[in-house]
Amino acid sequence: MSKTWVVTFETYLRQIKSWSFLFMILGPFVMIALTVGISYVSANSSRSSQQVAIISDSKVLRQSYLQQHQDGINTKITTTAAAKKALKANHLAGYLTLSTSGEHLRGDYHGNKAMGNGLKAQVQNFLTQNQTVQNYQTAKLSPKQKQALTQTPVLKQHVATKDGATNLAKIISFWILITMIYIILITYSSITAQEIASDKGTKIMEIIFSSTTATSYFVGKILGILLVIVTQIAIYLLGGWAGYGLAMHNAGIKRLVSANQSLVDSVIHNIVNLNLLYVLLGVIIYTILAAYSGALVSKAEDASKAAQPVVMLGMLGFFAAFPFQNNLDALAVKILSYVPFFSSYFMPMRVINGTVSLTEQLASLVVLLITIGLFALYIGRQYQRLMLQTDSENMWQHLIHSFKH
Amino acid sequence: MLSIQHISKEFGPVKALNDVSFDVPDGQILGLIGQNGAGKSTTFHSILNFIDYGGSIQWQGHTLSAEDFDHIGYLPEERSLMTKLTIEQQIVYLARLKGQPAKVIRPQIDDWLQRFDVKGTRKSKINDLSKGNQQKVQLICTLIHQPDLLILDEPFSGLDPVNADLLKQAIVAAKERGAAIIFSSHDMEHVTAVCDRLVMLRKGNVVLRGTLEDVREQFGKTELFVTTDWSTEQLAALTGVASVTHRHGNRYVLHLTDAAAGPAIFDALTQGHYIEEFSQQPPTLDEIFRLKVGEEHV
Repeated sequence: MSKTWVVTFETYLRQIKSWSFLFMILGPFVMIALTVGISYVSANSSRSSQQVAIISDSKVLRQSYLQQHQDGINTKITTTAAAKKALKANHLAGYLTLSTSGEHLRGDYHGNKAMGNGLKAQVQNFLTQNQTVQNYQTAKLSPKQKQALTQTPVLKQHVATKDGATNLAKIISFWILITMIYIILITYSSITAQEIASDKGTKIMEIIFSSTTATSYFVGKILGILLVIVTQIAIYLLGGWAGYGLAMHNAGIKRLVSANQSLVDSVIHNIVNLNLLYVLLGVIIYTILAAYSGALVSKAEDASKAAQPVVMLGMLGFFAAFPFQNNLDALAVKILSYVPFFSSYFMPMRVINGTVSLTEQLASLVVLLITIGLFALYIGRQYQRLMLQTDSENMWQHLIHSFKH
Repeated sequence: MLSIQHISKEFGPVKALNDVSFDVPDGQILGLIGQNGAGKSTTFHSILNFIDYGGSIQWQGHTLSAEDFDHIGYLPEERSLMTKLTIEQQIVYLARLKGQPAKVIRPQIDDWLQRFDVKGTRKSKINDLSKGNQQKVQLICTLIHQPDLLILDEPFSGLDPVNADLLKQAIVAAKERGAAIIFSSHDMEHVTAVCDRLVMLRKGNVVLRGTLEDVREQFGKTELFVTTDWSTEQLAALTGVASVTHRHGNRYVLHLTDAAAGPAIFDALTQGHYIEEFSQQPPTLDEIFRLKVGEEHV
């Protein structure tokens, strides 16, 4: 196994076996579980007091209502006495008595508050439907007459639904993508800078540089951190997939996803293309910069300061993207989509908007790849000198000296 | 053989090394001595290519490169390990960087821990070890891959006499295996005990070079160890005696102005009779070191 891989695996294992990595990975899952759990408990505890009981002397009428509506109904309470008791004990929001007087259908709602609009419309609708059936029977109409009376006017909306969904898909894709890049960059810039800076000026670096080249060690470190990033993304994808599977057991969510299937497909299509390569390359170039930044601090104790310049640059790209989300054809967007460190934000925006050719995308990728190569080579060469430096110069003085070399 | 020819190094206005040359043949130990700031660590950093330098450093006839890293064992002056690792993880990681497979190194660890009498097991965290035991683990990391070139910067510092002896044994064992060894030390006793040759640096310049005997002989046999009932004053009055040091009881060291004065002093002290001790020797390395350092201040 090459020495680069020895460093890669050592860096990787050290990171993923740390408590901070575990907390970072579990954090979002714990947050989601807590939110869902609290919502569930809260919904359960208030559910009974928000339910309504349906009471009727006519079993057929009650059953007919229950067949059409189950949500928010307490089916166990069947008598007025029981309903009054439950209402008094605040276990019911109210109860509805359904009765017939001759050919006239009647509904009486008893509660501490007026019926909600939803319930009111539901009950109104049920009574109207049943009253109509009753009326037809009383009028003894022929099937043809009944048919004639069921005619209703037609109201159809003609909206360019396709474009509307596409725009929404673009906005959602834009936010998912730049937020994803931003969070990964900010998180791993700090981790990388601290990982490198904590070795700064220590004698273990002398032992390591008497065993392998600085370039090999540097590349190993970067690869180790990239492996950690890939691990985190893989865990989140698996977690997301498992969560999606679980959520699909919920009829409401399933209906929601089915109703917006084309939107979901568009968002996935917008993200899973060359844009993912931009995310990856963006993470690589920022990670290399963070490593350089870590190597520039004057001593290991300054590790926490090391990530600041990289985080600032990442934030600049992130916030610079905001004003252009509705103006993706602006000249600034076109220029920045070729500038390394910014192209990872701006080119995916143009790709999502569909206003950039494949040639332009590839040109931007080539610029980014060449920059990454040259940058890694330059830092690899400076790395040994920077890491063995033990003078008291600050980060910026080291940067200036580094250019002089 | 490690061959260092005319190396020079400047840090701004400070000349850290000035035309330094010496060889370390295979199977020999060279002691690099000198005060703090004399250029010992700079010499080591030059050998390891940590810094740019003028001149030539060759190992087995070629310029030292990354291909030679696996044959080098280096112990820096200050001790430093990855404190969150266990002893085993640390040794295996550094050995793998020296091109040694983990499966070759792991079975040797217990034996090395025992040889250096490390208080801890292979699963002990480095952080939980005492400073002395951490130092021993670092020595194991330097030696376990059986390097052909050993570079040890102040290896004895911080070691008690028992552990210093263990280290001496390990250094001598490496020498017998054929390794070329160079180490720096302030303690002349250790240098005398294990070195075949020595080089003394002063302000980046070589001021002494050669085998231990050659170096001492350069100063002549000007130390006279005697046991006598003469007083300090009487001894000091003898011709050719520069000064007298009272060791203990009736034992003295006479510091001579000239080694040739020895026979006359012998005659004067013995007057044809038995004398318990009369030993004329060159100055000790410690005395030569002090002498050479002292010259700078004259």
